[in-house]
Amino acid sequence: MPGVTLRGLSKRYGAGAGVAAVDDLSLEVKPRELVALLGPSGCGKTTTLRLVAGFLTPDGGEIFVGDRCLSSATSVVPPERRRVAMIFQSYALWPHLTVAQNVGYGLKFKKGLARVERDRRVSEMLKVVQLDGFETRYPSQLSGGQQQRVAVARALVVEPEILLLDEPLSNLDANLREEMRFEIRRLHERFGITTLYVTHDQAEAMVISDRIAVLDRGRVAQVGSAEEIFQHPRTRFVADFIGRTNLVDAVAASSEVVTRGALRLHVATASLTPGARVAVSIRPHEIAFASSSDGRTGDNVLSGRIRRASYLGDAVDYQVEIEGTDVVLRAAAPAALRLKTGEPVSLVIRASACVPLPE
Amino acid sequence: MPSTFDRSVPVWIITAVTLVLLMILPLGWLGWVSISSEQGTTLANYVHVFSDPHLQKALWNTIVLAFWVGLASLAVGVPMAWLTGRTDLPGKRVIRALILASFVTPPFLGAFAWVMLAGPNAGLLNKIYRGVTGSDEPLMNIFTMPGLIFVVALYSFPYVYIMIVNTLELIASDLEEAGAILGASRFRVALTITLPLALPAIISGFILAVLQALALFGSPAILALPAGFHTITTQIWSFFQYPPKVEQAAAFSIPLLLATALLLQLQKRLLGRRGYAGVGGKTGARRPIPLGYWRWPALAAVFAVLACTIALPYAILTKAAFAKAWAQPLSWDNVTLANFHFTFFEYSATRDAIINTLELGIVTATVGAIMAALLAYVTNRRLVPGHQALGFLALAPVVIPGVVLAVGLFIAYTKPPLVLYGTLAILFVAYLTKELPVGYAQADTTFKGVHPELEEAGRILGAGRLRVLREITAPLARSGIIATWCFVFIGVIRELSASIILFTPATKVISVVIFDLKEEGQFAAISVLGLFMLAMTFATVLLMQTVLGRDFIGAKD
Repeated sequence: MPGVTLRGLSKRYGAGAGVAAVDDLSLEVKPRELVALLGPSGCGKTTTLRLVAGFLTPDGGEIFVGDRCLSSATSVVPPERRRVAMIFQSYALWPHLTVAQNVGYGLKFKKGLARVERDRRVSEMLKVVQLDGFETRYPSQLSGGQQQRVAVARALVVEPEILLLDEPLSNLDANLREEMRFEIRRLHERFGITTLYVTHDQAEAMVISDRIAVLDRGRVAQVGSAEEIFQHPRTRFVADFIGRTNLVDAVAASSEVVTRGALRLHVATASLTPGARVAVSIRPHEIAFASSSDGRTGDNVLSGRIRRASYLGDAVDYQVEIEGTDVVLRAAAPAALRLKTGEPVSLVIRASACVPLPE
Repeated sequence: MPSTFDRSVPVWIITAVTLVLLMILPLGWLGWVSISSEQGTTLANYVHVFSDPHLQKALWNTIVLAFWVGLASLAVGVPMAWLTGRTDLPGKRVIRALILASFVTPPFLGAFAWVMLAGPNAGLLNKIYRGVTGSDEPLMNIFTMPGLIFVVALYSFPYVYIMIVNTLELIASDLEEAGAILGASRFRVALTITLPLALPAIISGFILAVLQALALFGSPAILALPAGFHTITTQIWSFFQYPPKVEQAAAFSIPLLLATALLLQLQKRLLGRRGYAGVGGKTGARRPIPLGYWRWPALAAVFAVLACTIALPYAILTKAAFAKAWAQPLSWDNVTLANFHFTFFEYSATRDAIINTLELGIVTATVGAIMAALLAYVTNRRLVPGHQALGFLALAPVVIPGVVLAVGLFIAYTKPPLVLYGTLAILFVAYLTKELPVGYAQADTTFKGVHPELEEAGRILGAGRLRVLREITAPLARSGIIATWCFVFIGVIRELSASIILFTPATKVISVVIFDLKEEGQFAAISVLGLFMLAMTFATVLLMQTVLGRDFIGAKD
């Protein structure tokens, strides 16, 4: 089972220089790994996937599967010869073919595969996706979730080297979507096909993938496990896109302290250049409320006043004005702690929770 | 590893070249001849056609005709669309079917029928009127400008109707109910909310009707010529009577071409603007507006219009086809099948014309459907650079009135290297060019309905482009392409305005023979041929509705 290597991939749309949809993008997907391409719309994730599928020709860069070069600016292996399978956002089930015909379509192109063997593999795969008995139905007679499973079966039955998924769950309702996340992860663990998974839903990416590549304006902003990306975002974009966060624009006072007006924060590194502009990301749940200033040494202790409290059931979301500054921090606290609007509070934030981001 | 040569490329290139030849050659020659004389390039042809008072009159007549036809079509089409689209008027399905029948009835057949109905002396309605009132004067004379406007409008209002009924279907009832809840009566709601929302469609329907009237040859030739006046199209035709004055015909064609292009551009703009919220999406259910005691008067009015477009003309055609003398009263003594025998077996011109028409219809529809499908596929899938230009070219012939196209083709193909004049081939080229926009539009809709991911799924599983085309795209597009074939076929078998200039004695088609028979006063044979033409048309319409599972006015009802 080979991995996928994207090296300096570029794709522009429009006349002349055009707009770069994918801009010098590099990414390494290890064999048997499932990597999610995560980003907002327009970040180039679908274009990247279509480049890997061979539907688009890159303007620059290369795509390798193992040591096989599939795409470069000068030559592109057509989609049908890439040994890649894809699951589409629309499922793309052929309405004029039955479930069995849909699933078996790709097997017709496997040389030396007898018809009996084809039928056997189709029914076996339909069992895997729990659709046995549906062979002679047409796609229009299936529910959304069932159609999704047919699309999955059709892609897996050809035993591709690489599997591509383009927002496959976006057409399902919320409950089914959650269920299918685990289903896709289960199938990945069973078949171990190297997979690229495009989504704009961070929860989906976190549940399904081994690693996440966050894309921003056609480039990879950060690659890592869900935890790495959440805990240690490397850019302002990543911090803001993954989970909710407070972003404080400040200036480095020393190698480990930033200031903004009267606000002084010890941050998670000791390598800042004094005088540099630094954005600091603080997750709302990392902010603790203290009755008195009982923080340990090195923790940041701030005093402020509750501006607004929003009851959310399992937690309360507070907006806290920090004294002597224009900064408003959002903090999440257990519902048991009920603070009132206007109440003075003291906040404790560990230095390690204040992640500085280069501008 | 370089990818292998894509076998589909030559197909696209051939299509593109053909398209350029169909359009560029005739129009290029048309423009060139209009400014040429024996002494070289000149504007003399234009000066001549625009300073001759006779020709000025023809121009003015055309403007008068087109304007009044546009207004009359609105006056009929708008209320009808509102009644069938928005209210609880009974019999909506029947009304819709009858309007569709008006839409596919060749206008020149309608004009013939109205000659028999309202000719000043022998016209049936006038005879009845005189019989009832004892008056010596006819009730109406169809050989007048108002008569011409009346008959042309009868077959132009369906354009307005279709335009507006499709827009009304997109206006959600809650927009109207919001007006009602604020205290407006239901007719006030129609006037102040529904009507303004549909305004772009109404204006654009008006433009379509005007364009119909501008380009029409048959009805003016049948009604205006005996009345002693010309329109642009009949005038261009008469330039081809011996001795032909091709340069003047060309110079007279250009303004008609420009006017059409301009009006279509205007219409496209109006429809493209779509500034109104609620039009263009499906929001909420639509509940019919109760008409109350107005139901029956409204129904009577609708059927009165449809009697003029369908019932009366079809009845008189049928009567004339089966009668020994069409103007005599209905009785068993007067019934005969001799007219059919005469038309199909004795009169040699009709038999050849039927064969020619069928041949041209089938060949043009087949080639046209294939070409439209290829073009629509190329443009939808953006397969070649400049695909937008191809789509534009495929739709462009819409601006060329049949008569003008014929003048261009006549000039282009009477000289080497391609001498097509005198063969069926020149009619084929004319029909293909003329019907391409309709075919393309239908094929385009078809391929818009086939999601590209359906093809990509086939590619990625191992099928090559042509295999995907054969196994996935073709089956999915089949019914749409059959409908395209039907559209082109219907258009071809009724075509008159280009045929009348391009035919030769050996290449007559049914419409031309009908026109000839009129000169000879053979009303019975005309009626037989007309019924035959209608039968073919309706058979094709039925086939199309069967494959599409709906009528072609618009969305499923």
